[in-house]
Amino acid sequence: MSALASTAPPAHLFSVTPDRAVSALSASPAPAISDRAPTRKIRTLVALEGVGKVFAGRRGQSPVAALEDIDLNVADGEILGVIGRSGAGKSTLIRLVNGLEQATSGRVLLDGVDVTAQPESAWRQARRGIGMIFQHFNLLSSRTVFDNVALPLEIAGASRGEVAPRVKELLALVDLSDKAGRYPAELSGGQKQRVGIARALATRPRLLLCDEATSALDPETTRSILALLARVNRELGVTILLITHEIPVIKEICHQVAVIEGGRIVEQGDVFEVLTRPAHPATRALVSSVVGVELPKSVADSLLPMPVPGGRTVLRISFTSENATAPVVSRISTVVGVDLNILAGRIDSIGERPFGVLVVAVPSHGPALAAVQASLRSLALETEQLGHVA
Amino acid sequence: MSPEIIRLIAQATLDTLAMVAAAAGLGTLLGLPIGVFLATSRTGELLAAPRLNLGLGMLVNVTRSTPFIILVVAIIPFTRLIAGTSIGTGAAIVPLTVAATPFIARLVEGAIREVDHGLVEAARAMGATPLAIVRKVLIPEALPAIVLGLTLAIVSLLGFSAMVGAVGGGGLGDLGIRYGYQRFMPDVMLVVVAVLVILVQAVQTVGDRLARRLNKRLRTA
Repeated sequence: MSALASTAPPAHLFSVTPDRAVSALSASPAPAISDRAPTRKIRTLVALEGVGKVFAGRRGQSPVAALEDIDLNVADGEILGVIGRSGAGKSTLIRLVNGLEQATSGRVLLDGVDVTAQPESAWRQARRGIGMIFQHFNLLSSRTVFDNVALPLEIAGASRGEVAPRVKELLALVDLSDKAGRYPAELSGGQKQRVGIARALATRPRLLLCDEATSALDPETTRSILALLARVNRELGVTILLITHEIPVIKEICHQVAVIEGGRIVEQGDVFEVLTRPAHPATRALVSSVVGVELPKSVADSLLPMPVPGGRTVLRISFTSENATAPVVSRISTVVGVDLNILAGRIDSIGERPFGVLVVAVPSHGPALAAVQASLRSLALETEQLGHVA
Repeated sequence: MSPEIIRLIAQATLDTLAMVAAAAGLGTLLGLPIGVFLATSRTGELLAAPRLNLGLGMLVNVTRSTPFIILVVAIIPFTRLIAGTSIGTGAAIVPLTVAATPFIARLVEGAIREVDHGLVEAARAMGATPLAIVRKVLIPEALPAIVLGLTLAIVSLLGFSAMVGAVGGGGLGDLGIRYGYQRFMPDVMLVVVAVLVILVQAVQTVGDRLARRLNKRLRTA
């Protein structure tokens, strides 16, 4: 076992298991999480039970409830994303998990241990097993890249001899070995966040909190940071809880998603399920811009609630993984003998699974509509009637 | 100018340097922790102790609002207690330190407050104790600003030191008053002022350079 394991947090919270400590950052490819799944019981690493947070009002002002009745479970080894608009309470939520904010009601459990009311000294120990990265990176400008990554190790009381090899390992992991002697001011945004990730992983945490980690980055850099986070999750088995307002982040790397609105979680579940079948209006609003298909404005404006004589009915067809690439339109055209008017469409992927949406118009009267619907049902495609057009 | 006068000017320069260096050193030793505490002890902050913060803040304000020449005279008993005498260059270090400490404390406080709060949060998230945050984050990050503040304090102390002649403190200011003004020797006055100008220039230049070297924020890739 690495010498650094002595600086790991106490066993009752986030203990470093020997296999992780050895395999974690070795040069040889670490086993994928699926390889280890059989020997590993899936357990809940973070649990929020009916958590609320009320901020005391400033003088003369009433208290503000930032979070209400939050139930959230993060399973060991998964990536859970919390998405919501700014001001929805995301930042407060993620800070409850490492005690930067204290819940005013409900319980917070880490690996089954109730930490809700634990004193600051106990939190300090717990935090050494929880990494955190930030939107604005929060690197020390006075320290080099190397020394920034070394900081959590110094804080955990690691000796100089332990620090140097560990930092080198981490910089290799985030592909910044050549920047060890540089200062943050000399780095690009993406490089700064890589330093942030290396720093957050220094003490071999089991949990990584990402506070809008890509919101200050351009789309291309965002993708590379997300790829790195996915690798950290896959290869090191680090559980990730992230908050974001960007649906692509959820779509790209999350396994589970929770949608937060007005301090409450309004929808949560498997990412593919939630994004392809959004139930809550807040989720629909978030999803429509990426995975859903917004109707062309001319169609949306002329959409009527009731069918009109000689008009057409507008259907949204959702393609999920198995049939996303099926030649549905041509099949319906030939089998049913009805021409489908394609109004809008898009094929996308969520995680690794392809997903498509097609908006079509079918003559409302006569046998065409029923035939098309029956045909779609037989193909096990989900359809939704959006309205009618003249 | 007679060799005697030149010897006096040299001695006065050394006295001034000694007084200012000692007062700046002691003032930093005392003012730095006070400044750090003032910056971190308000409600909800790292070392939250609002009452102590308020009391200390008031003490600092009282000291800072007392004109230096009055402070020198007012604390003579205290000076005698510390230095054994209230007269001379050594004794003058006491009032200079008393004046420098709250000044430096406020400068340090300002420098620490300028440190991005996100860095404190990041250090807390690593499990750092408040003391570790002060030592490893706040002071290193504020160091360029602290150095500039100390430069300002030293320049001010050079000015203050001219007044300790009132209690026999010696130094350049005292020489300028007694010889240049009271004995009508404008050339002595001129040399005294010239030496002070050079000292201030030197201190400022060194301070600026040091602060720039410590500041890693402005480097470009």
